[in-house]
Amino acid sequence: MMISLVVLYFLTNYLINKETEEDLHTITYQLERLIENNLTVNSIEPLIGITETTESQTNKIKDTLIFDPSQNEVELFRELTTYKNINSKNYKITARTLVVESQDILIAIFLSYIGILLFSFLIQFFVNKKSSEQIWKPFVNNLETLKKFSLHSNQKLHFEKTDVLEFTELAEELESLTNKVKSDYENLKQFTEDVSHELQTPLAIIQAKIGNLIDEDSINEKQFQLLSDVQQNILRITLLNKKLALLTKIENKQFKSLKQINITKKLKKSIVTFQEQTLHNIEVGELTDIEIYLDIMLSKIIIDNLLTNAIKYTLEGGTIKVSTTTNAIVIANSGQEAIKHPEKLYDRFYRESTTKKSLGLGLAIVKKICDAHNFKINYSFIEGFHIFKIQFKN
Amino acid sequence: MKILIAEDEIALQESIVKFLQRDGHVCEVATDFTEANYKVSLYEYDIVVLDINLVNGSGIDVLRTIKQRKAKTGVIIISANNSLDNKLEGLDLGADDYITKPFHLTELNARIKAVIRRGRFNGSSDIIFNEIRINTEARQTYINNIKIQLTKKEYELLIYFIVNKNRALSKNVIAEHLWGDSIDLSDNFDFIYVHINNLRKKMTKVAANYIKTVYGIGYRFTEE
Repeated sequence: MMISLVVLYFLTNYLINKETEEDLHTITYQLERLIENNLTVNSIEPLIGITETTESQTNKIKDTLIFDPSQNEVELFRELTTYKNINSKNYKITARTLVVESQDILIAIFLSYIGILLFSFLIQFFVNKKSSEQIWKPFVNNLETLKKFSLHSNQKLHFEKTDVLEFTELAEELESLTNKVKSDYENLKQFTEDVSHELQTPLAIIQAKIGNLIDEDSINEKQFQLLSDVQQNILRITLLNKKLALLTKIENKQFKSLKQINITKKLKKSIVTFQEQTLHNIEVGELTDIEIYLDIMLSKIIIDNLLTNAIKYTLEGGTIKVSTTTNAIVIANSGQEAIKHPEKLYDRFYRESTTKKSLGLGLAIVKKICDAHNFKINYSFIEGFHIFKIQFKN
Repeated sequence: MKILIAEDEIALQESIVKFLQRDGHVCEVATDFTEANYKVSLYEYDIVVLDINLVNGSGIDVLRTIKQRKAKTGVIIISANNSLDNKLEGLDLGADDYITKPFHLTELNARIKAVIRRGRFNGSSDIIFNEIRINTEARQTYINNIKIQLTKKEYELLIYFIVNKNRALSKNVIAEHLWGDSIDLSDNFDFIYVHINNLRKKMTKVAANYIKTVYGIGYRFTEE
């Protein structure tokens, strides 16, 4: 840019100079012809000066500053002085012409340059913008489609194809990728469902056969004890099965029927049911009504799992305390010491003690439900009580 | 009672039949959809125990056939599927009850008897065992015609005992019956003892004696 500017400047300067000189030569030549033809030529200062002279020098060309009254300023002129012998008289012919000042040229060049630049920049800018919008449009659209991707919707994703090879390839890859993810997910879901479904029938047969065995009058104490143990473990498998399926269902966000419910009411109901099932005393504190949006089944699961957990880990003669505030449920049970690994508390199959026959899924399920609905669950151990608190609103 | 067991798992079908026959029911079986649909359209049953997932067809369609005949048949659906939709569809179409695999035979028995009681068979809705009489419509219990006050669980417990009389019931079977889905305390069913004890206290000495402890881990309701 700068170089071209400089070159242009010198080139223009040179051309103008050359042209001016030629111009001066032409004028001088014309004047000589006039004088040769004995025509009186008057000087027109400052442009033309003709004087008779005795001296004879070589022609010279130079720049000179002359005051121009019409402009009322000093202007730069180019001056050609020729000494010529015409009709045996020596003449000094001076021809001058206004020179375009180099500063002016520079400004002119600079301004036009800037103008052109600005213009081309603007044009370029808009053309580019327009064309890149055109080119990127499918990409942006595809990105939007991708953002809307959900494993749970049945709709297949369709990506726009364009003339741009890369984008078309990207779209094709995305399409096959999302379809693959979807089908894998479906397979996995189907597998989970199938497993839990297919297990039921053999379990039912085992259960029924045990029923038949117990029903026979001839069984003795030892046999009855064994069969009862088998029954208990069938129940364990059944519960495990159910809870794993539930956990998967929550993870897959398949509980969508949100309803406004009074969770305190559910809590009261569950307390009655659980009091029937335990020898521990459930102390009910202040119960403030809490209204939340949640699937009814999930609300029952949260409460039941927390109560079950509290009951299971209360030692003989211990107490369970339940209360609610305006936005939180607090369920506490007496214990000897704080849980050693509270960070693992919500892991699947984590059990603090191996003595209890726990499935190790209850709290994991509660945590999953809380996470899915932005509830906060918090464990603390204060004054001999394990305290679980679920905060529904901030 | 005449009962049809529509179940494609032969082993399960046999167990159910064996169990129900002991109570004096007449049992017939169907091992696939075609047989089940054929039998219900031809014969009249008091109760149909119907598996939803039959070979070559759905139990739901068998249920439709039964309902088209406007028969008095009571229907109990068995399903391996725990989904609520399935349950609601069955009950909407007029099934009387729904039981999920795996189940205890004593539980199935209790459900069958409950359906029978619900009055569609001109029979009595009362449960009678010697001096004990339970009016299931009014949910009242009488011993020697004297009304006794039972809690909901004690009432359910007593009915479960009587409909499964002479049978050994382990504690967890009783717990599963009384609390169903919310049962989760699988390591300890000692609380059952509390309910049984309370029930015994409310009954007369003779009646209380019908509830017998079986080897310390179960109970049997019997006259002997």
